[in-house]
Amino acid sequence: MGWTSIKKSHLTLLHLYPDHMNLYGDRGNVIALVHRAGRRGIDVEVVAGELGKPIGWQHVDMVFMGGGEDSHQSRIAEDFLLRAPELTRRLDDGIPMLAICGAYQLLGHYYRTVDGQKLPGIGYLDVTTEPGRPRAIGDVVCETTLPIVPATLVGFENHGGRTFLGSGATPLATIYRGQGNNGQDHTEGAMKLHTIGTYLHGSLLPKNPHLTDLLLSWAVDPSGSLMDLAPMDMSLEMKAHELIVARGEKVR
Amino acid sequence: MRLWVAVWAARLVGLVSRISGRGGSSLPGMVARRIDPLVLSKLVSRLSKGVILLTGTNGKTTTAALAASLLQCDGHPIVHNQAGANLIVGLTSTMVQAEKWRVYPRAALALLETDEASMPRAGQETHPRAIVVTNFFRDQLDRYGELSTTVGMVRKAISQMASDGWLVLNADDPQVAFLGQDQQHVIYFGLDLPVNATLEETGDDVVDARFCPRCGQALRYRQRYYAHLGDYSCPNCGWSRPIPHWTATLWDKQSHIVTVRHGNDLMELPMNMPGIYNVYNLVGAVAAAMTQGLPAHEMGRCLEHFEPAFGRMEQVMIRDHQIWLALVKNPVGFTQVLEAVGDWPESSKWALIAINDRYADGQDVSWLWDVDFETLGPRLGIDQWWVSGMRAYDMALRLKYAGIPDEKVHVVENPNIALDMMVDQSTRTVTIYVMPTYTALLDLRQHLTQKGYTRHFREG
Repeated sequence: MGWTSIKKSHLTLLHLYPDHMNLYGDRGNVIALVHRAGRRGIDVEVVAGELGKPIGWQHVDMVFMGGGEDSHQSRIAEDFLLRAPELTRRLDDGIPMLAICGAYQLLGHYYRTVDGQKLPGIGYLDVTTEPGRPRAIGDVVCETTLPIVPATLVGFENHGGRTFLGSGATPLATIYRGQGNNGQDHTEGAMKLHTIGTYLHGSLLPKNPHLTDLLLSWAVDPSGSLMDLAPMDMSLEMKAHELIVARGEKVR
Repeated sequence: MRLWVAVWAARLVGLVSRISGRGGSSLPGMVARRIDPLVLSKLVSRLSKGVILLTGTNGKTTTAALAASLLQCDGHPIVHNQAGANLIVGLTSTMVQAEKWRVYPRAALALLETDEASMPRAGQETHPRAIVVTNFFRDQLDRYGELSTTVGMVRKAISQMASDGWLVLNADDPQVAFLGQDQQHVIYFGLDLPVNATLEETGDDVVDARFCPRCGQALRYRQRYYAHLGDYSCPNCGWSRPIPHWTATLWDKQSHIVTVRHGNDLMELPMNMPGIYNVYNLVGAVAAAMTQGLPAHEMGRCLEHFEPAFGRMEQVMIRDHQIWLALVKNPVGFTQVLEAVGDWPESSKWALIAINDRYADGQDVSWLWDVDFETLGPRLGIDQWWVSGMRAYDMALRLKYAGIPDEKVHVVENPNIALDMMVDQSTRTVTIYVMPTYTALLDLRQHLTQKGYTRHFREG
């Protein structure tokens, strides 16, 4: 299917809890989605989903949610649970969601904070998160099985939680450098249909334009049958990407 | 005896490393602590007026430098780590090297700029008579984890304060002001400027802590100066900004005068630095110095010859070109520097942004995406953007995604070469604003010094 046959020229991006969950430049992911869609003539409207605010789920084409400090995360956890039925219905329709760090943890079954507080997640991904020390901090290079070229994803992780995958979870990527989910099994992130949970900040999407484009293609066509968006230059993006990959190679 | 050996060994190491040109302001402290782990506590125990620790995310160096100018004004010697060596080894280096020949410092007071992560240690070893806190923003989170961790480290130091100690706090920063809750001796400083000086609501402004530190609800701002600094109250629990004892009430940008109110007294102070963040630094320094009971009417005179600290909006001339250097290290600071650049009347402006990601810079460059170039970019009047440093491409990408046209952005990975090229390619009417991260700033300084272009810098 060619790009020109796609009718969608307007997308609605739901940014969940931008006031509470906005650590480490997560806003950069929204900027990247808007930018790369805009250059292709797709206009993206960013809608903020805040505590207690009604959301027009039927209009949502993609969802983004970032990380937050423990205190902020616990403030939104309850509200997030209330929204779970509507959110998971849309995710099952195939709309894409990118969940970074704290948001990834809350997509799992639960997240236990350092203080021992157990925050229940919505259980969409079959993962659980336990506290760990020291924090996993540093550059990450990993390789994903998603249909994108190159297969590498790069970013920066900064998390105390250790996430373990259940039997129903598919890892997003295999770690080459960094800790990833738990520092033990060499996995990073998890995915289900078109939902991606990951620890990668950096910001993630600006340096991984191939992933940005994949998310956009899912937003345009949630059935996933659209093979490619209109090709678009990503040379500057890949220079930022390759710098981190090259550092990883020196270490390997 | 142990102390004596520690101090002299450290001074020797300091001398050797200076002669060999290695700088290294932390090495003497490291050596001294290895020989006598109690060296810092022992040395400060003889200071009759004790220690003032000054901490916070932004403005530490400038606030400490301003406070030092005030405290030293009448020839009273103080010990001050003006080299910006603000980790525990740096504080120790400063104390052991305070004198040439004697072991204990003659000064009555030490004013020590202290990194947030070193605060628990510094508190424990110096039992400060005063702690000054400027603000809490997100900064180099890869080092400390999260903002609440940083606040916790400062709290630990406060618990170690001398019982008659003063807490000097920025009333306009909710998390800082809340440190004063249930404390005995607190002095607050803040701003009460006319409305036109306040921030335009951009919606995407960098805000780190807009929730009530007491109950967690969103705060309501009657006035906001930048980021989360302003006059706030909590609609839920009623907690609100404490009334500042020292308040900047007027900032005349033309005559470079800031008016500070204390009770019914008004004083006019010179401030030859741009940016509203420097108004905070100034009033914070005044509040800090006043814990020592300085005569208020002397302050203006004491600040007349103040020069900005190294790389804090500092001016350098290169072959008739005006160059400004301003360190950038976190979203709020970067935004403030850009605002100040936007305030400048120059007709032609070029910018050089140099981003490194070494440990001292912060290894995570995510924060560049929290700087609101989308809103600021078009209104700064910058004709050309040059980007440099180890993460030059991340920065170039940031500008590209903010909608700054490709032809206005030049990537030259080496900041020194970039600066030389900019000077070569621009006319004299162009003012160049250099915005480097910490280690890029050090590299640029060395480059400028080698070329003989700079005024004498403070030790970096």
